[in-house]
Amino acid sequence: MKTPYFYLLIFVTVIFSQVNPEIGLRDRTPHVYAFINARIVVSPGNEIQQGTIVVRDQKIVEIGKNVGIPKDARILDMTGKTIYPGFIDMYVETPIAKPVVKSAYPHWNSRVHPETTPTLANLKDEDADALRKAGFTTALLVPEKGIFRGNGQLVNLGDEKNNALTGSVSSQWIAFEHGSWADETYPNSLLGTIALIRQSFFDANWYGEALNAWINYPAENPKPQTDDALQTLATHLSGNSPFVFKVDDDINALRALKLSTQFDLPPWMAGSGYEYRRIDEIAQSSPFIILPLNFPAAPDVTAEEYAIDVSLRDLRHWDIAPDNPRILDEHEISFALTSAKLKDRSRFKKNVLHSVYRGLDKDKALSSLTVIPAKQLGVHHILGTLESGKYANLLVTDGDYFDEGTKILSVWVEGHEFVQDDTGNKVSVQGAWIGALAESQWTYKFSLSETNGTYSGSVNHDTTKVSLDKLKYEPPFVFFSFQGEELPGLDKGIYRYSGINIDGNITGTLIAPDGTPSRMTLVSEVSDEEQKEQTKSDFPPKSNLKTRYPEGAFGLDGPPETYDDVIIENATIWTSSDSGILENASIWIKNGKFYKVGQNINAPRSAEIIDARGKTITPGLIDCHSHTALHAVNEGTQSITSEVRIKDVINPNDIAIYRELAGGLTMANLFHGSANAIGGQNAVVKLKWGQTADEMIYQNAPEGIKFALGENVKQSNWGDNYTTRYPQTRMGVDQIIRDGFSAAREYQQKWEEYTALSKREQKKIAPPRTDLELDALSEILKGQRLVHCHSYRQDEILNLMRIAEDFDFRIRTFQHILEGYKVADAMSKHGAGGSTFSDWWAYKFEVYDAIPYNAALMHEQGVLVSINSDSNELARRMNLEAAKAVKYGNVSKEDALKMVTLYPAQQLKIDQWVGSIEPGKDADFVIWSGDPLSVYTKCEQTWIDGMNYFDLDKDLEMRRRDAEERQTLIQKVLITPDKNGENGHEWRAPNYLEHSCGTEVGR
Amino acid sequence: MRKLFVFICLLSAGLFSSDQIPAPDQKVPILLTNGTVHPVSQPSFEGSILFENGKITKMGPEILTSPETEVWDISGMHVYPGLIAAGTTIGLVEISAVRATADNAETGWLNPNVRAERAYNPDSESIPVTRSNGVLLAHVTPQGGRVSGTSAVMQLDGWTWEDCILRTPIGIHVNWPSMKIEKSSHPKPDQKKENQRDVQMKQLDDMMEDARAYLNALENNTLKGTDQRWEAMIPILRKEIPFFIHANRILQIQAAVEWCNRQDVNMILVGGGDSWRTTDLLKDNHIPVIFEHPLSTPMRRDESTDAKYGVPSMLFENGIKFCVSASAGTFEASHQRNVPYEAAMAAAYGLPRDEALKSVTLYAAEILGIDDQVGSLDVGKDATLIITDGDPLEITTHVEIAFIQGRLIDLSDRHKTLYEKYQQKYLQKQSD
Repeated sequence: MKTPYFYLLIFVTVIFSQVNPEIGLRDRTPHVYAFINARIVVSPGNEIQQGTIVVRDQKIVEIGKNVGIPKDARILDMTGKTIYPGFIDMYVETPIAKPVVKSAYPHWNSRVHPETTPTLANLKDEDADALRKAGFTTALLVPEKGIFRGNGQLVNLGDEKNNALTGSVSSQWIAFEHGSWADETYPNSLLGTIALIRQSFFDANWYGEALNAWINYPAENPKPQTDDALQTLATHLSGNSPFVFKVDDDINALRALKLSTQFDLPPWMAGSGYEYRRIDEIAQSSPFIILPLNFPAAPDVTAEEYAIDVSLRDLRHWDIAPDNPRILDEHEISFALTSAKLKDRSRFKKNVLHSVYRGLDKDKALSSLTVIPAKQLGVHHILGTLESGKYANLLVTDGDYFDEGTKILSVWVEGHEFVQDDTGNKVSVQGAWIGALAESQWTYKFSLSETNGTYSGSVNHDTTKVSLDKLKYEPPFVFFSFQGEELPGLDKGIYRYSGINIDGNITGTLIAPDGTPSRMTLVSEVSDEEQKEQTKSDFPPKSNLKTRYPEGAFGLDGPPETYDDVIIENATIWTSSDSGILENASIWIKNGKFYKVGQNINAPRSAEIIDARGKTITPGLIDCHSHTALHAVNEGTQSITSEVRIKDVINPNDIAIYRELAGGLTMANLFHGSANAIGGQNAVVKLKWGQTADEMIYQNAPEGIKFALGENVKQSNWGDNYTTRYPQTRMGVDQIIRDGFSAAREYQQKWEEYTALSKREQKKIAPPRTDLELDALSEILKGQRLVHCHSYRQDEILNLMRIAEDFDFRIRTFQHILEGYKVADAMSKHGAGGSTFSDWWAYKFEVYDAIPYNAALMHEQGVLVSINSDSNELARRMNLEAAKAVKYGNVSKEDALKMVTLYPAQQLKIDQWVGSIEPGKDADFVIWSGDPLSVYTKCEQTWIDGMNYFDLDKDLEMRRRDAEERQTLIQKVLITPDKNGENGHEWRAPNYLEHSCGTEVGR
Repeated sequence: MRKLFVFICLLSAGLFSSDQIPAPDQKVPILLTNGTVHPVSQPSFEGSILFENGKITKMGPEILTSPETEVWDISGMHVYPGLIAAGTTIGLVEISAVRATADNAETGWLNPNVRAERAYNPDSESIPVTRSNGVLLAHVTPQGGRVSGTSAVMQLDGWTWEDCILRTPIGIHVNWPSMKIEKSSHPKPDQKKENQRDVQMKQLDDMMEDARAYLNALENNTLKGTDQRWEAMIPILRKEIPFFIHANRILQIQAAVEWCNRQDVNMILVGGGDSWRTTDLLKDNHIPVIFEHPLSTPMRRDESTDAKYGVPSMLFENGIKFCVSASAGTFEASHQRNVPYEAAMAAAYGLPRDEALKSVTLYAAEILGIDDQVGSLDVGKDATLIITDGDPLEITTHVEIAFIQGRLIDLSDRHKTLYEKYQQKYLQKQSD
């Protein structure tokens, strides 16, 4: 264990105050300690019994079984005590002190400040104290706010504030932070946040190149605007240092990993405790996770009226959460444990032990608090184990850390002791005591108990019991008084007792009412073993739940069954194709595609056969305008936000997906909201319940984008505070869109000029900056991105078509388009489709002329028409919305159904694969109990890609399963004692808004 | 048949000339014959229905008529009672996003005295649009605050709000306070919220005491002056009209039933999201339910996909008096024409079809206390009825003709007018 450099190190580490002048007398107290007779855990799995550690100043200078004790050392007898390496917490959120030291050249966005570095001085004293009490001696201080929050700063948690552990691995911290809807600064949604992260990485890389180009070729290049943030990021990127994403759930974890992959960053995360939900996908990236132990408190289920508001998902999380660390370990994910996210760090040990009780390996747990963080942060040579030459960061306990009764007695940071628990010295006097009165035959039994630092007790003899008054334990003194009258051998009046707790016995004097003192010693009746037994905490029984996809009610155990061949027989089939409606026909589905449709189909014997006598089959319904399954809908801060992408914010756990499947919907076009003229990029998904966001995205769909016009864009209905963002009129909307496309043209030209340069010339010239906003607009100009536009009034509809024509592209669809019927001829000529509400109107001024005949009139004029929902509720019954086109305007029933199947597929340019029942297309279909346009008809089954994603019978089965499981879990909650009422963490799953688009802005 | 044709032509002609014109009183007896009559209160039959001076006078397979009777051959068609929107702000709200056009919610928490009919705009464009689909009566309700005001049932045709009144007052509307105390996230109950609940309950208790004191003073001639609020409460105290308690969550419903019992007032539950969880209590206390908006998503993540669709059926099976309404939200003021489809979805999920029809006609009338006059086709009731080409709960069905108290209603509306107008545009373009 001794290295040849050992003696050298001594001299290096003896450092007193360095540069600051001494004020007053110099402190030359020697700090040399010998810890003897200790059980020493050098590192996980490597123990020394009865060992010695010698500490000189800040460092350990010697450690081992037979170590000579230096003559100048103070000797600390550690008999019965265990010494561990001090713990390292890799995630300690630290407020940045005010006034903030502003960077000289800050980034334009106030949430981007990677140049920020916290110091120990920023950490609140009570936080430092709480960390040490939990056994931590080293902490990675992380700025608590922002998107690019800043550097993590590693420090030892001693008294010296200017004590950064320079040279450790530099980490940059990123969080998916954003303002709320009311905030007008970008970003105010997860959409904008992710786009800003992406843009910032591009900017950082570009900044480095542009700066170099200017330095080397000042004549040929403009000087880029000085920016400390981009400079910091550029440096960090070039050093391949980790970026740590703080995530709040499993879905954000996958988002973070995607960003890490895109920008080739080491996949580090500050985790959430929900990793188990998507553990396979997370494990695929082999991330390093800084893992909190924020197990939720038990939900209140005492009354059924309360219990019904607790979701099964939350009940299950309560049950499963302590398994999370073990599950990570089983999937070979490297992690460090952190006390972050606990409301009260004193719960940390209990939660570590809870995880161990749930199967987490003890050595693994210990490593994750010592060796692993030390290695990850590149400080294993100075921290993480107890070895000579390393910092004397020690954790001293009165037993094995993993025993429930064990207390942390002190931590040592750089050779300085911080006493954490002096109850080791001031032993509890709780329990039963026998007191024998000297020179008397009588003995009495005393019972002392403590709650929250206050003692109470009683004295009894046989059945006579008298309570103790004024009982005080001021270690080592014990004081109390009591009425003597009822006790044998004592007189009437009040007896007073004063004792000293020495070595487990309380020796003292009982003073009789007449003042006569008698010696009385109290001897403990309870053994240590029993005392430990009493402090044993109660973990609920282990969980036997398997993860569901998604977690909670109606979750699946895995993906639905796949079949080679499925035959549906005897059905009425509305094909939405030229074949029309087939009676008494069959469908053969092969490997997830329609293979044959019609009469006389001979299936292979192995095929799964569905008898659909009396049933009607239609293609899966497609909703061309939805905000289902999104964690964010609007980035409403800027008039053009073409850089934001709906596919970044898909929430595959949204129960609305399942509800919509139950209404026959198989696909949805997920849109950005209509808060601004040019919103975000849309995502076309299949409603594959239980799959990840990426698996839901329909890869065949061409890219698209959402535009918006009219009242929402000009903030007409946002209230009186929103009157300044450009534009406030339809005239301005016209201009802002034109301005965007002009800029995109210029941008394209810049890139064209740059790419036209020779390699040699390119070396001298900085490339243009990648602008994700203009990239998207330029894709529109190139015809690579479909434009879908929220619109109502005929003037704005016509105008947008003219803008598009001026810039030589086409509008793919107008959405809502409630006055489409007024300019249907122009739309038809331009080639724009119309995706409309069936019969909504009059909810705002611009829809006062909306009519339910809109779909029919547009359809008659040759416009490609679909009917959409824009609502998680309507999306459950798109077939009935289609029926309204029959009612209002006499559209044929077949055409009406096409408005929610084939036509939306055509509008999204995916009709080659979906939208009708034709050989070769994806086997997305619905089995209905009857006429799909009748209000009395029920959706019985919904299939996607030849897999059954909804089935009425299975649904009933799941309801029974969930009801049973709910009762089991409620029983478990009820029998689990939770003395503290909480587990150090707030009871609540991450709370995302379920977007039902009930807001004005969505429509 | 000939006369029917003439009338339809007349109606169409109206499209190009003027706005919808409220119908004059019934002058001559009208006999609808050869149709299928669905009285709702009794079995359907093939035959005729006669009405005079706005009232139904005869019904049956064959009816002998006086010479001045207009005979309408409606073979192939169906006659139903006019549908009822059992809770809406139609007439009070024109365009929900335009504040100037909304008169649904008065300021302050205690407004029992404000009257829906007084602000009902009979010229609202929503009214013709709604009645075009067979919804001829609307229970128009004030909203907002704790005690929102007094509601009225309006007929969806008339020159003035006074003409339109079918019955008022119907009841006083109370938005029940949230009963939930957030206990789960904290070791101690959230004191603030608990107090909030108690404060709100005390407000309601005090309100009743004050109203009683007022009535007492009135009856003993010691009143010092008129108080509009307590005046409005007198019919509640005398149990002449009920409180319409708007509540969805189980604790709210239970607390409201207990409170109304204690206060000895009549109660009708509106909303009723969790009503199916507490059917015994509702049944024991004879509380009718206006179940609001089956076409809405389940209240809780764990509830079944069809949770709201299935509630009417459960209320029916448990013998609770109920009816179905669309959403009373301001967004829905213009969408009350879809009331029948709310009931239809309940029928798809377990409610017998004839019960579904009753849930937007007779049952609504019974709960609103207007069944002596409307809600079914019975001799002596108003001739407020619709003639359709099929089941009015089916979306594809059309309402061809409507009568309100025997008055032939103009079924044109803003939507048809614009439809016609733009059909003309494309005809012009074609001929160019």
